[in-house]
Amino acid sequence: MRTITLIEAIREAYQEELRRDEDVFLVGQDIRGAIFPHTKGLVEEFGPERIVDTPIAESGMYGVAFGAAQEGMRPVCDFMFGGFSYVTFSECSVTTGQYHFLHGSQQPLPLVITAGVGTGQRLANDHAMSIHGTFAHHPGIKVAMPSTPYDAKGMFKAAIRDNNPVVIPWHMGIMMLKGEVPDVDEDYVVPLGVADVKREGSDVTVLANSLQLQHALKVADKLEGELSVEVIDPRSFVPFDMETLLRSLEKTNRLVVVDEDWESGGFAATVSARVMEQGFDLLDAPVIRVTLPNMPVPGGYMEEYVAPNPERIEAAIRAVCA
Amino acid sequence: MAIDYLMPKLAMAMNEGTVNEWLAAEGDYVEQGQLLATVETEKVSYDVESPDAGYLHIVVPAGETVDCDTLLAQFAADEDELQQLQNGAVSPALAAPDVGSVQSPAPKTAAMTVAPGQGRVKASPLARKMAAAAGLELALLVGTGPGGRIVKRDILAAQQSAATAPAAVGDQVLARLPLQGMRKTIATRMTQSLRETAQLSSSWESDIDDLMALRQSFVVREEQLGTRVSFNAFLIKAVVYAIRRVPIANSCLVDDEIVIYDNVNMGIAVSIPGSTAYDSGLMVVVLHNVDRMGVVEIDREMKALIDRVRSGNATAEDLSGSTFTLSSTAGIAPPGLKTTPVLNQPNTALLGPSTPVQRPVVKDGEVLVRTLLPLSFTFDHRILDGEPAARWMSALHECLENPGLMLA
Amino acid sequence: MALTREQMVALYRNLVRADQYNRMMYRRMMQGKLIGFYHPAEGAIAPGVGACTFLNQDDNLSPHHRGHGITHMLSKGIDIKYYLAEHTGKETGCCKGRSAFHFSFPEHKVYMMSGFIGYNFAPVVGWGFAAKRRKQGQVVMNCSGDGSYGQGRAHEAMLMAQNWKLPVIFFCENNGMSIFSTAAEMHPMEDISSLALGFGMPSRIVDGQDVFAIAEASLEAIARARAGEGPTFIEAKTLRFNEHDIGTPDLAGWEERSEEDHAKMREREPMKIATERVLGDGILSQDEIEVMEREVAAEVEAAEAFADASEIARPSVEELLDAVFAPQEI
Repeated sequence: MRTITLIEAIREAYQEELRRDEDVFLVGQDIRGAIFPHTKGLVEEFGPERIVDTPIAESGMYGVAFGAAQEGMRPVCDFMFGGFSYVTFSECSVTTGQYHFLHGSQQPLPLVITAGVGTGQRLANDHAMSIHGTFAHHPGIKVAMPSTPYDAKGMFKAAIRDNNPVVIPWHMGIMMLKGEVPDVDEDYVVPLGVADVKREGSDVTVLANSLQLQHALKVADKLEGELSVEVIDPRSFVPFDMETLLRSLEKTNRLVVVDEDWESGGFAATVSARVMEQGFDLLDAPVIRVTLPNMPVPGGYMEEYVAPNPERIEAAIRAVCA
Repeated sequence: MAIDYLMPKLAMAMNEGTVNEWLAAEGDYVEQGQLLATVETEKVSYDVESPDAGYLHIVVPAGETVDCDTLLAQFAADEDELQQLQNGAVSPALAAPDVGSVQSPAPKTAAMTVAPGQGRVKASPLARKMAAAAGLELALLVGTGPGGRIVKRDILAAQQSAATAPAAVGDQVLARLPLQGMRKTIATRMTQSLRETAQLSSSWESDIDDLMALRQSFVVREEQLGTRVSFNAFLIKAVVYAIRRVPIANSCLVDDEIVIYDNVNMGIAVSIPGSTAYDSGLMVVVLHNVDRMGVVEIDREMKALIDRVRSGNATAEDLSGSTFTLSSTAGIAPPGLKTTPVLNQPNTALLGPSTPVQRPVVKDGEVLVRTLLPLSFTFDHRILDGEPAARWMSALHECLENPGLMLA
Repeated sequence: MALTREQMVALYRNLVRADQYNRMMYRRMMQGKLIGFYHPAEGAIAPGVGACTFLNQDDNLSPHHRGHGITHMLSKGIDIKYYLAEHTGKETGCCKGRSAFHFSFPEHKVYMMSGFIGYNFAPVVGWGFAAKRRKQGQVVMNCSGDGSYGQGRAHEAMLMAQNWKLPVIFFCENNGMSIFSTAAEMHPMEDISSLALGFGMPSRIVDGQDVFAIAEASLEAIARARAGEGPTFIEAKTLRFNEHDIGTPDLAGWEERSEEDHAKMREREPMKIATERVLGDGILSQDEIEVMEREVAAEVEAAEAFADASEIARPSVEELLDAVFAPQEI
């Protein structure tokens, strides 16, 4: 095992998949020069035909990925910042999600959409907003986000190998998070659709992802001795591993869902409804969600207390255990 | 006052930086704009110009990697201050502003938008399930959850044995049964009923030979009717007749209000096995809206209800909402038994028939042997006085002895 | 259209301000005293000044993000201290500290900044539409870089502006770079202004390092627009001396821009070119220039003092939620 950062883990996933399969290629803007570290050194190894920069033309850029995927290639389309995917939203959400299903399940659409997302850099809404909730809403698209370097490498590989469109953003707040990954010669995949119990506990279940997962683990450590907190990383939003969550609730009977997305209509709301439907009798308290309030993400110093943070997560845990 | 120079966060991928080289020496007077240091981040190397002027005191030596916002150097206003800094004077507070002062929004607990109605107990889904399985009456439990909600720990506490060993009366004890669960519930409710109401019982006997003959005409048609109509079905029909004559007998006292019901939900006391060979259990199942049913339907529904209850499939409705209670010892007790049954709160009245008895009676001047049904009627004098109670009993008596009145 | 002495002095003064403000922002970024990104404008200060100095208060302006629109906004008479306060997260900022660095000065008709390159092209059509309806001679100065013309919406905007003869000036600051990507590699056309040809829109190419040349071209285009003659495309060939934004390497494609490239660029330093011109033409004396520089330095200092003395914006979540929707006055 070696220790690397999350962004390096993504780079390794790219490098290994590019080596493994000729059809894999990356398309984005300024990825050859590596605007973010996960594409550093790739154009030197694979050339500009496989590490492709486009003009600032998101529809055209995504069109490269979409059309190439229909023609049997396996593109990864990098929007740089999650919100920029909305510049070509109809293509990414509607056209992409419906392609396989509506046309009689005749052809797969093996493409990956990625971008940096998340609060913590004080950049305000354009650059900080999350996209997983919105894409999870559109059927036909798989959606996932990694929370550790190990998961990042394994999940990006799984996404690239998946025959379906996968939206897999990465959170900028954990870009430099260090963690262990297997040695270079070990090819491993973290399957999509499988949640991970990152920390076992018995009093309450906290469902959290990416930066918020790290926050939840911090809070769980802090509360050790007082409350036993089980922390689960969904890893994938679509498909979502309900079984792992229900099994946990059989033990704890209490749930806090942390989601760095707006309160209204996001993934947290979906999970809460499903838990109510499928695990009603397991609940000893109402499900509590810790989300972004329904306002555009403000920049400046406000982000720190508006966004989900360890204090809010702790308060929610205490409230659900009252 | 010394000015701090911190490691700036120049890029999102930057958590730390390294001062590769200081381009001015410790103690040098540095002008604003003068080249100060070469700083390296994850991606880029910068020749940094001094942002301020002053005597340079270096805090982090060259070659060291530090987190962003770490103090790298200070600019002293004069040589005295420089001396102080070099002697390790405490630097002014640095780093990002403290955000702790603003309250994080309190989490919204799922508020119940509908306040629980009369009789609705606040309990978590899990607690309800546990209570049902344990035969615990939620209304009798105290909830320690938010807003008085009954939660798992309350059910567990209620189930826990708090038995104190009874003072031994005899030497040799046959069994010890802790007063818990259903038994405890029954005990509590019985004493509560006797304590809180002004109940009293009256008894009489009604001639049921004609009624039994009527019943026989239903019994021989069992196949057609789909059920072997029980005596109790007819009894219930007669009770409804009596209630129609004296409606206040079909009521409940809720807080300070006597609620007189239009429909009749018949509570039927059912004996169930206890937890041991020695004790027994008791529950009241409820057949809703018997006033709208014929005897065949009453009989069928009653049997289905009891079936459901005995097989553990009772719904909430099957176990609640009675407006009048029937508690029969017929077939079990000695013939002609007169009883004083305890009221099933919050009902105003309860009828306790028992085992019929054959007696000589005077009918139209002749002495005949007739079958008499002993009936005991308990009522709450807070609501129902002697006169209306007597009228109710008379109405029932009349209907039983003249079963044709059931058609009224 | 030759410039008057007064116009040249005004332009020169704005250029000195643009230069000093940009240096201030760069310095503060390096000190960790700014929130968010900064996209430095060294070598690129002339276009904003040339295009915006002669705009009226009620003319719309969409500034380029290069230099965070400061060179454009100060030339339009906006007090930059409120933007600096915003950029440092203070409650006195133009957007109450909420926007990080996304400015808005609606009373000066600078409505917004967004992180999506090419966001400007949609609203400028609407501003032009409104201006045309009002018939008060307002114009829309739409400034953005060569990269932004990759956007489909840029073409939609040009199509509609020319078709409806909207008073919109498509002012393209072509520095040949988009983060690392070069225009040479990303665009098949040598001149961005050749796009205007396809829409039948008149265009001009000017030296983007020469503030006076830019101003001349801008005045002409502004006059055309005010007279109802429709849009003009002005392409200012300019340069980007620094990296795209501080903290990002200075690459072209994926290789470092060379020392030679940098040296060549710096031969065309806009401040130097303008100074030579005003001295040479006898517009200003060296003394007058020095006085001007000191006055501007004081201005910059005052702006910094204002921002640094202001309180950090920390409204409660409830206050912020209340501010999501505009109040209803029926």
